[in-house]
Amino acid sequence: MPSDGKPKRRKSSRKKSELDSALDQVGDETVAASMKEFQELLAQAKGDTAEQIRQNAEELERRLVLLKNGEIDKEDFDFFVENQKRDLRVFIDSQPAQSQERAEKLTLHILEIAVTKVVPVLIAMI
Amino acid sequence: MPLHVLTRGTEPAQDREPNTPRPMNRNTPKNFIVRNVFLCAAAILITSCGTATFTKTGSDATIESLRNFELAFIDEFAVPGKKFNAAAFNAKVNEGNAKFQQAIADEKFTARRPVLVDLKGQFDADAAHLRSKASRGKITPALATEMKKDVNKIYDHALGRQT
Repeated sequence: MPSDGKPKRRKSSRKKSELDSALDQVGDETVAASMKEFQELLAQAKGDTAEQIRQNAEELERRLVLLKNGEIDKEDFDFFVENQKRDLRVFIDSQPAQSQERAEKLTLHILEIAVTKVVPVLIAMI
Repeated sequence: MPLHVLTRGTEPAQDREPNTPRPMNRNTPKNFIVRNVFLCAAAILITSCGTATFTKTGSDATIESLRNFELAFIDEFAVPGKKFNAAAFNAKVNEGNAKFQQAIADEKFTARRPVLVDLKGQFDADAAHLRSKASRGKITPALATEMKKDVNKIYDHALGRQT
């Protein structure tokens, strides 16, 4: 039980995922900073208490790995992101007003970073 | 001057109970009406709940049927290496459109219509993506698997289930 009322944080020593290993290889400092921000947000979303936020993060990670491995292409990835966005909008609208911003940050915002910053990096690695 | 007999138990006439039978309580008819109205309301409520449950079950069954149709559609056309048959694909899409439109028109719960419209939107998006990929021979096993996962998730959400 948290004694000081602060939310519990996950230890940063979590096991590196296949996606983390790929993104850690980025050399360019500016790009690496974006990847770091993305990885932190994704880890936060994967540990969230809301089922839909966790599920979205896990789906996104799985599809990024499929893209990196050439099992789906960018068209497929974009198609799945649109599916996820459609589903998430209903979820976000159903949240209390004070939770919507956070929910949006951990879902739609992560998807946006994935499409604009992470996917080009992964495609360049193929 | 009238004679007042001071007999035990006697009382002035105006204080005596009349000899006619006691009339019905003034509130009794009202109570009857209230009771009957209450019973009717309860009966209507119970019957309508039963109807609503029955209709919702029917509506859920329609959604399940649409899910099965869409999964079968993906299974049929999202096959790696399979030659794209445009005529068969179009026929299946037309069949799907008709099914969704019928389901939307038949839906008794007005609140559920937007859900069915969203599911139709997903079917349209799936059909467009599959046509684009299958016609160029760019279907992969992972695409079919992921598409089916999305379909199941969206239908579970439509039925109010957590996935």
